[in-house]
Amino acid sequence: MVQFPTAQEKAEPPLGLYVHVPFCATTCDFCAFYQTVPQGDAVARYLESVAAEARLVDWDGRRVATAFWGGGTPGLLRPRELALLGETMLVHCGGTPAEWSVELAPATVTADRLRVLKELGVTRLSLGVQSFQPGLLDALGRQHTAAQAYRAYELIRAQDFASVNLDLMFALPNQSDEEWRTDVTEAVRLAPDHLSTYCLTFEEDTALWVKLSQGKVKLDANKEADFYLRTWELLAAAGYAQYEVSNFARAGHTCRHNLNTWNMHEWVGLGPSAASQFGGWRSSNPANLELWLAETAAGRRAMSDRAELTNDLLAADSVIFGLRMNDGVSVPRLQRRFPTPRWKQAQNFFPQLLLEGLAVATPEGQLSLTPRGRLLADAVGAEILEAFAEPANAAAP
Amino acid sequence: MKPALLTRNFCIIAHVDHGKTTLSDRLLEYTSTISKRVMTDQHLDSMDLEKERGITIKMHPVTMNYPAQDGKIYTLNLMDTPGHVDFSYEVSRSLAACEGALLLIDAAQGVEAQTVANAHLAFAQGLKVIPVINKIDLPSANLELCMRQLEDILTIPAEEAILASGKSGIGILDILEAVVTRVPPPRWTDYPTTRMLVFDSKYDSYRGVISHVRVFSGTFKAGEMMMLMSSEQKSEIKEVGMFHPGMVKCRELGPGDVGYIVSNIKSVEEIKVGDTVTHANKPAADMLPGYKEVRPMVYCGLYPLESDDYEKLKVALGKLRLNDSSLIYQNESSVALGFGFRCGFLGLLHMEVVQERIRREYDVEIISTYPSVVYKVTKHGGDISEVDNPVNLPDPASILEISEPTIKASIHIPNEFLGDILTLVMEKRGSCEQTTTLDGSRVMLSCTLPLNEILVDFNDRLKSISRGYGSMDYELGDYRPSDLVKMEILVNGDPVDAFASIVHRSKAEGQGRALCEKLAEIIPSQMFKIAVQAAIGGKIIARANVREMRKDVTAKCYGGDISRKRKLLDKQKEGKKKMKQIGRVSIPPDAFIQVLKTNS
Repeated sequence: MVQFPTAQEKAEPPLGLYVHVPFCATTCDFCAFYQTVPQGDAVARYLESVAAEARLVDWDGRRVATAFWGGGTPGLLRPRELALLGETMLVHCGGTPAEWSVELAPATVTADRLRVLKELGVTRLSLGVQSFQPGLLDALGRQHTAAQAYRAYELIRAQDFASVNLDLMFALPNQSDEEWRTDVTEAVRLAPDHLSTYCLTFEEDTALWVKLSQGKVKLDANKEADFYLRTWELLAAAGYAQYEVSNFARAGHTCRHNLNTWNMHEWVGLGPSAASQFGGWRSSNPANLELWLAETAAGRRAMSDRAELTNDLLAADSVIFGLRMNDGVSVPRLQRRFPTPRWKQAQNFFPQLLLEGLAVATPEGQLSLTPRGRLLADAVGAEILEAFAEPANAAAP
Repeated sequence: MKPALLTRNFCIIAHVDHGKTTLSDRLLEYTSTISKRVMTDQHLDSMDLEKERGITIKMHPVTMNYPAQDGKIYTLNLMDTPGHVDFSYEVSRSLAACEGALLLIDAAQGVEAQTVANAHLAFAQGLKVIPVINKIDLPSANLELCMRQLEDILTIPAEEAILASGKSGIGILDILEAVVTRVPPPRWTDYPTTRMLVFDSKYDSYRGVISHVRVFSGTFKAGEMMMLMSSEQKSEIKEVGMFHPGMVKCRELGPGDVGYIVSNIKSVEEIKVGDTVTHANKPAADMLPGYKEVRPMVYCGLYPLESDDYEKLKVALGKLRLNDSSLIYQNESSVALGFGFRCGFLGLLHMEVVQERIRREYDVEIISTYPSVVYKVTKHGGDISEVDNPVNLPDPASILEISEPTIKASIHIPNEFLGDILTLVMEKRGSCEQTTTLDGSRVMLSCTLPLNEILVDFNDRLKSISRGYGSMDYELGDYRPSDLVKMEILVNGDPVDAFASIVHRSKAEGQGRALCEKLAEIIPSQMFKIAVQAAIGGKIIARANVREMRKDVTAKCYGGDISRKRKLLDKQKEGKKKMKQIGRVSIPPDAFIQVLKTNS
């Protein structure tokens, strides 16, 4: 599934737009995304501020190719609030984006909301099912039941969105291989267009992290590796092609927005904690609703964690993140996009990945990871970063 | 000045734990050299470590006045000797300062290997040996056995034995009388020029070097110019004195006296144990017999666990050396362990004691590399060099022959362990020349073993096989040619210097495999296939694989995660800098330490 650039992309690289909706009814044990419980007029102020932040962006007449609303729980907004957010966004998009994804938690899915989204031009819905098993949903601290998940899926399908994704999680505490197989089978039975399966990650500032550090939950890399491989096997057999570490799709249903991100294209992020890669800089908004409101009111955006998008940085990142995709990267094409002398160092390293069976390469220079390499994508990434690093003797005169 | 005829110089030789220190304390008490009130148990052993291990490392002479039964007051000088073979040269110099020796035998234990070795040393010095059977009040005392062993093993008539108990004070008077009547008066007093023997030196930060001496002929006073005969170095005597038991300044030291001198000499290296001191203006023609240069027998690398502690370690070694000229060290660096020191020791105990003192007294956590002996390497063409570090072994193609030091060991064990001990000796490439029956239940084996083979676990194995009843003593033997090879440990094809060792060819494979397996187990799982190999001259003789990493991947990696992920990778890169880089394998520094720990 090589994503050949369209004629338009060649002329103008695709621009993404990400909107972070920071509200959740409660916090899930595993979630590290920025979210807060909506109080008072917080939602109203948030919506006004998104509009204000969008006005601060120098769009320079560029069209938004893909949009993505994530959270938090965008579905926590009421139908007219969703409409307002959509209209605000569309003012700057230069037309309805070709792909427009919205994340929804099963408990928030209603026919009213779906109707508003459909009318706005949303093309893709992502439903955070996580598991169909009550015990595991409880363990994750999720607020929905399996029945709610089925009901939500039915409602979504009734609205005829172009693409529907289900999120599932595995390697949960005490989850058996059999339980996971049941979840995957159940998801496949619903026949979504896309599946994202996430290995439970222990992130700092989550309830799970605390449990882990207290020794209540144990990490087992071998067990996780087994879960991964089992997932890949089951989904391939069910007709879902893997195109990234955690993402699978039926033909024509990959998430363009995410692919563009991994290909180191540009995107604008709006809302608290949202990251942008745009106008020569990679940066973020503050991960705090009040701080973000104040920043926006003061006419500032995306001031945190700023890194200049140099060719050195983009060259390394395009390989590190590009290799997470099954198609991998075209080294010659990236060399042309991000020319830097450091490619020479990196190219001395690539053959090692091949020799160790971690990667394969075509004669044209398309480099991709093998299944074993994909399970080690972070370790590979660390080596690539090293390979692209400033030469140690560079400081010497 | 008292006539030399009324002086007796003696020492106590004994096996560890046979009660030497307690007995010394009783003698001091009885002669009122030290009052019971200020007496702490075991007065002569001042270092904590010595107390803990029940061994004496440094000697402290004491002068006592004893009114004997013949009505005369005698000056008795007691030399305390270190009780371990590592210090046998120092023991021999202490013995050389005496005319007699009390040979202490534990009534319950009987004659031990070390007792025999020390008795032979005393005989060799021409000393009068007075056997003392100590701890006779123990319920398990076996006097009959001890008497028979005296005659059979040491060929000393049983009736010469004095029965004593340091603990309850039995026989103390008999011992003092025997010293007066049986030990001859000081020898060589009529030599025409002045001579005194240096048998120890200590560094004092205020006064410089304080040397412990025994005068043989002539007198020495403050203000005189003295000369060290080994180096012909001249120096002014600043002070002379005796031990009562603390240092007490006196006018002069005369024939037969034991005391101390302070001179202009600033470091213990310059005034060596065993040297003869004479007057600079009228020097003696001959040195006192027995002087030799002490040379380290065992070497190892010492490295600080935390690289920040390098300076602390350097200071610690410097201070230890102030009082211990047999400890030598020089800078060394290792790819695996960073900066440290190559250190030379008299033997294993010396090495252990130094390491322990660095940890305790100087509070530096250290790791030591595998110990090595000093090999003699003969090259084609006849060049002979000494190698104490495997890293310095010349190219094998240029080597004609490698010789290794051997030891002559006497091992005492209960009969029933004979077979197992012989097996151990064979395993350690040793040979047993003689088996002597000590009594109905014990045998003494006279063996020759390569020193290299007893460096690590020989004594522990001996003790465990014999359930603690075996004992061993040894003296250094000759160098013998041996089929020795340098074994290197390679991680992913790159040699790791800290693990290189010189081993006998027949042992290489087994040791190599054990080391590889241990290291492979300790190195964290790796993304690439990494082999740990043992090699001799490029030929791989053993191999183990480091566990392969199976999963290291972030599940969610979207737009907002990219800068976070990047930061994480950058952090990882920084962390890697703290690890030891062997080729492209990053190994946490404590991996080496764990391997070296399990191997020593």
